[in-house]
Order: sequence, then C-alpha cells, then structure tokens
Amino acid sequence: MRNFNFLKAGLGFYTALFITFLYAPFVVMGILSFQAGPEGGPQFPIIEWSTYWYQHVLGIAPPSRVAPLPIAEALTRSLTLAFATMVVSTVLGTLTAQAFRRHFKGSGFVFYLVVLGMMVPGVLLGLGMALVADQVGIARTWWGTAFVLHVVYTYPFAFLVMLAIFNRFDSSVEEAAWALGVPPGRTFRKITFPLIFPGVLSAMLFAFTLSYDEFPRTLFTGGSEVTMPIAIYGTFAVEIHPNLFAFGVLTTVFSFALLSVYGLLMAASVRRAKTKGIGVQEDIE
Amino acid sequence: MSAVEPADSAGHAADRSGFMQKYGHFLLLAPGVIWMILFLVVPLLMMLYVSFWTQSTFSISPDLTVKSWVTFFSSETYFGALLRTLRIWLTVLVLTFVIGYPAALFIGQHVRNKTVQTILLVACVIPFWTSFLIRVLAWRPMLGKEGAINIVLQKFGLISQPIEVLLFTELSVIIGMVQIYVVFMVGPIAFMLARIDDSLIEAARDLGASSWRIFRKVIFPLSLPGVVVGAIFVSVMVLGEFATASALSGRKVNLLGNIIVTQVGSLKWAFAAVIGVVLTFVMAVVIIGLLRVVNLRREL
Repeated sequence: MRNFNFLKAGLGFYTALFITFLYAPFVVMGILSFQAGPEGGPQFPIIEWSTYWYQHVLGIAPPSRVAPLPIAEALTRSLTLAFATMVVSTVLGTLTAQAFRRHFKGSGFVFYLVVLGMMVPGVLLGLGMALVADQVGIARTWWGTAFVLHVVYTYPFAFLVMLAIFNRFDSSVEEAAWALGVPPGRTFRKITFPLIFPGVLSAMLFAFTLSYDEFPRTLFTGGSEVTMPIAIYGTFAVEIHPNLFAFGVLTTVFSFALLSVYGLLMAASVRRAKTKGIGVQEDIE
Repeated sequence: MSAVEPADSAGHAADRSGFMQKYGHFLLLAPGVIWMILFLVVPLLMMLYVSFWTQSTFSISPDLTVKSWVTFFSSETYFGALLRTLRIWLTVLVLTFVIGYPAALFIGQHVRNKTVQTILLVACVIPFWTSFLIRVLAWRPMLGKEGAINIVLQKFGLISQPIEVLLFTELSVIIGMVQIYVVFMVGPIAFMLARIDDSLIEAARDLGASSWRIFRKVIFPLSLPGVVVGAIFVSVMVLGEFATASALSGRKVNLLGNIIVTQVGSLKWAFAAVIGVVLTFVMAVVIIGLLRVVNLRREL
C-alpha cells in the first residue's frame, strides 16, 4: 500500500510538470507581450516593461515601422464566420444525431462519412475545394468556400457530442409525451430540447472555437479578404513582433470570458432542470 | 387552450408520425449527408482527378497524364519529404503517448474526486484558448539561442555554451508538435481510465495481484480504446501539419503539407494534388490500421 502511495505521489508530481510544460509557451507569450516597443523584439531579455504592444494591437500606439494587425476587419470576419459555422454545424449535428437514435440501414456509412470531415487534414480539403471552385468558376471567399469547409470540419464534432448526449438520454419521457398525443415538434421543443441543451451548448462551443482558430482550410479557400488566423500566418513569412503575443493574451482573456458565459449557462441549465423537472407536465399543456 | 384542440393536434400528429416514420429519417439525415458529399467527398475526388491533369507553367489542363506522379516518386526532394513526414509523425506519436500516458493515468485513475478530475482536464485544455499559430510562435523565444531554456540552463550552470540545435531544426518541430498535440492523447485515455469500475481493480488486488500486474492486465487493456482514439487524433493532425514546421524550422524542415502550400502558391495545382493524394493514402492506411485495434463506434 505504501508502494502504491509512493507511485501516486510520483504520478502527481509528473502531472504537475506536465501541466507546466503545457503552459510554458503561454507564460513566455505573456511575459514577452510586455516587451518594450517598437524596437524590442519577440525574444528575451525584456529591455523594458511596457504596454506598448497592447496599444499597438488596439491601434492607439504612435505609428511605427511595424504594420498593425488588421484587427478591425479580420477579427470581425473571423467572429462572423465562427458564429455562422456554429449555428449551421450544431443544427446539422443535432439532426443527424437525432436520426441515429434508431438503427437504420447504412448507419455505418453515414457515421464514417460525417466523422471523415474532422479526420481529413485541412490542407487537403482546402486544396480540393480550391480546385473545385477553380473549375466550377466560383470565387473563393471566406463566407462561401471557406465557410462550407468550416462546417465540414466542425459538424462532426457537434454530431459526436450530440450522439453521446442521446446515448445517455432517457427516451421514456419523450415516449410519454407522444403517448399523451403531444405532436413531435412540440415534444422536441418542450421535452427533448431542454434535456439535450447542455449538449447543444457544448457542441456550439466546440464549433465556435474550432472555426475561430481554423486556418489551413481558410488559407486555400478564403480568398483575398483574410480572417484573423490567416493574418497571423501572413506574419510568419516576414519578421514577427511582440504585438502578436499581446494579441494572443487579449484573445485568451476574451476566450476566458466566453468560457465563463458558457459555464454560467451550463450551471443555470442544470439548476433549471433540477427545479423545473416537476413542472414539465404543466409545460406541455 | 380549448379541450378540442389537443385532440385535433393529436390527430395531425398521427398523420404526421406516419409520414415521419417513413421519411423522417431521410429528412433528418439528408442535410448533413448532402453537405458532406458536396463539400467533402467531391473536393477529395476532384483532388484525385486533378492529380492526373497536365501541368504547364501557370495553368492546368484536363489532359490525363501520370507525369506529376512520376515526378513525385522520382524526385529526391519530394520522396524525401514523404519519408521525413512519416518519421516526424511516428516520433511525435510515440512521444505524445509516452509523455501523455502517465498524466492521463494520474488524472483518470488516481484522482477519484470528479471535480478535481474535471479541473485538471480543463487545466490541460485552457492553453487551447490561445490561437494555435501564436502558441506555435511562442516556442521561438523559448528555444532560441538566447531563448528561455538556454538562459535558465546557463544560469544554473548546467551548460556553458547555449544549445543551438533547439531552434530551426527538426528537433524544434518535434518539441512544438508534441506540446501542441499531447493533450489529444491525454484526453481520450483519461476518459477511458475514469470509466474503469473500481471494483474490478479491488478484486484484482484482493486476489493478490501486484500494482504492475494490475496495470498490465486490467488497466492498460481497458484504456486501449482511448489510446487508439488519441493516436488517431494525433496522427491526422501531425500528418496534415505545415504551420509548425514552417514556424519552427525556418523553412528547413519541409513536410508534405509544406510542399502542398508551396506548390499551390506557385499555381502548380496538379502537383499539389499528387501530394494531397499521397497524404490521403498514408492517412487512410494509418487510420484503418488503428481502427483494426478497436471499434470506435462501439466505444462511444
């Protein structure tokens, strides 16, 4: 038993090291984002602590030789794209998962067809779509060719999340509603949806995050109007500056805010399920 | 609501449920399936088709030829890139497993409190909220000649000269990829480990099995589906990679993905398509091989 505790302590220590390893670049990014500007580069040592690069990102720093990140347009595009992708892929994922609640012929084929979407590397899909667009004569745009690929990528995640939710779903409540003559649409709205809501939220979160950060697919299909990741990728070729790190810190903080909203919604939904569980019956009437 | 109405809508429901029974499934499945066929299957087939087109300097024409294929397999550079991609993929796969498994073991098996378990897993996922590309770039000031690692090591007197092989080499690409993808290995494994019934392990212990034997005979086999799922995640991501390589190798390490990007950049579509098909083939072999070990759908 003592041996076992020793092992546990060892593994615990290892896990702590492991998590440190995961956070290392994150910490470096945080430190270097406070590098002096505009002459300070993205490396150690810190010449002087300053918030210059944050001002630079927000566009309030005096003009310098470092080109500002195209935040206004690129970020708006990225957020719009992520939002649209989120809505479409969550709807598709829920529909497909709903169909999978009954066994049907060819379910294996559909399953792998959908899952293939998250398996195929973005660079391949981007290339394929660019070729198709080229031949059919469609212009490559972030809201067209890139958007459909974003959905191809995130829809499988939404589908898998919803599938897992439906697998643990007690369908007797639904059957009771049907038996009482409640129409399917209404049953879905009043019974099924509230029960699967946490799953829907997770699916939305997945889709939004993945789409927002997506770039190999967008690189080939996004056309000339860049999204945020493409704008960042563009700086790879030239020199990088700490403004990228400042931007990274800002977006991470923003993501945390989003995550907190998700957490609150989730908690609220769990609480509502607990208190309102008894009230479902009146709700159907 | 009147008393008549519910009965009425129930009648409608009966009609509709008859219709839904027959075609409901089809209606639920159709949007997703059509989307995937149009925007996933068609592009991939197009890629295969274009790989046989004739490439001239700046354009392609649909005259079928195997010229691009011959160029790929006879060129030292391109065939070398294939081998390099496979080598880096295998290295990263093994490293993510070796580094990730003990952490997953701790989170999934040794932490019995569900809340702590969730907190630890969330802690692993948080770095993902920073843009992928920025995370990759953050390795540069870590690994460079005057980077964080060299500064720390020199301060502790462990080395006298900065280690230069850390950045802009194959090693830096591997370090970066392992750090970025290891979580995809940890997650599924921890998930499977957390599902193991405690009584199983207690039974084994009561019967006098040593910790190592329990691990080998009970815990590891039960975690295998997680390992396979993790391996699939890591494999598909690493095989399709190009950004990490171009950011951390100073464009010295060219993976198949990098070559596709370069070829597309210079409008060599047919040639890019050839590499795309090769990459697809490699991935298909890898995934099918891994799926032989475990039935993914049954494990969900």
